[in-house]
Amino acid sequence: MATHTIVDQSTCIACGACGASAPDIFDYNDEGFAFVHLDNNEGSAEVDEDLLDDLDDAVEGCPTDSIKVSEYPIVLEEV
Amino acid sequence: MSNEQKVYDITIIGGGPVGLFTSFYAGMRQMSVNLIESLPQLGGQLTALYPEKYIYDIAGFPKITGQKLIDNLVEQMSQFEPTITLEQEVREVTKQDDGNFKIKTNKETHYSKAIIITAGNGAFQPRKIEIENAEQYEGKNLHYFIKDLQYFAGKNVQVLGGGDSAVDWSLMLEPIANKVTLVHRRDKFRAHEASVENLMNSKVEVKTPYIPSLFIGEDHIEKIVLSKMKSDEVEEIAIDEVIVNYGFVSSLGPIKDWELEIEKNSIVVNSKMETNIKGIYAVGDICTYPGKVKLIASGFGEAPTAVSNAKVYIDPTAKVQATHSTTLMEKKEKLDQKKVPVNS
Repeated sequence: MATHTIVDQSTCIACGACGASAPDIFDYNDEGFAFVHLDNNEGSAEVDEDLLDDLDDAVEGCPTDSIKVSEYPIVLEEV
Repeated sequence: MSNEQKVYDITIIGGGPVGLFTSFYAGMRQMSVNLIESLPQLGGQLTALYPEKYIYDIAGFPKITGQKLIDNLVEQMSQFEPTITLEQEVREVTKQDDGNFKIKTNKETHYSKAIIITAGNGAFQPRKIEIENAEQYEGKNLHYFIKDLQYFAGKNVQVLGGGDSAVDWSLMLEPIANKVTLVHRRDKFRAHEASVENLMNSKVEVKTPYIPSLFIGEDHIEKIVLSKMKSDEVEEIAIDEVIVNYGFVSSLGPIKDWELEIEKNSIVVNSKMETNIKGIYAVGDICTYPGKVKLIASGFGEAPTAVSNAKVYIDPTAKVQATHSTTLMEKKEKLDQKKVPVNS
């Protein structure tokens, strides 16, 4: 089963928790907001199986539940 | 002691860094303060999310950890005597006919002449465990916070989580409890290396990779069922107390219903840091205005503006611009010569 992830930047508070838990998946833009650097936050890249535990840590650690995970590619609805 | 009758000059909603400095400055301008915070601890995001992380953009500090900054702010604030109201989430704010605000929390009602909202990204709450019947044990033997370590003396305690809180609490409980078991869904912990090393050398039983899948017990949790990850193995463990440390979640929550002008999850303020409701001010990450920069440093700058303008709102004869802090403190010292300054 594939795993995809994306950061909802409309709710991200730039706290820096996800990059600390999963530096191989998340990075921050110039304003400090997180994004998935595997696919420039497009929700299309499959997350490597070795990184899934880190991803779980990041999801658990995100204080605003801004990290979305799905077995399918993710498209965020425009707010 | 009940706060019900007292009408404070200023009520500050949110005990993060900016809330603490706002409280200090309001004290400096001789106003009575009630500081309301949703968590049982002060410090907001800094304490909840990154106490050990260095911050480099606080004026006067080349670098300082989140926790140290909070400790300093608490010390600074404690030169005055603000009322600190912890573990209360403000639900409703209404302006009464006498002009004072009625502030309803999940536990009681407070009154205030003015309000300064310093709620950052909203109220923090612990992330709840997602087990079907978990809620029924809250307030019994399922805990999200530890207030009194001695409460766990001689008991069999199960701690759930893999971050610093879970590891630190396990280590603190180890000498007090009968037995501490720490359960985490992976072998790697997110906590500091040194803490993890202490953990591995301690008597804490570390159970990884397991997740709790069921609580068993009529009134209290008597047994917890643990499932081993990626296997069918399950295990039942008899326990006395369960502590969940799954981090925090924050949300703006009821603030949205107070008829404040809100833009992109932030409260709109003018150059006095005043909201569309006279007497309610907002500073720090929760406020927005043209050119707003969301930094602790800018929140610190906004705080005196809000406090001083609130002072004039409460007492139109007061001046917005205060005299030097040195003069203000000398005055204070003369006023309470007999009191010993609190420096905890």
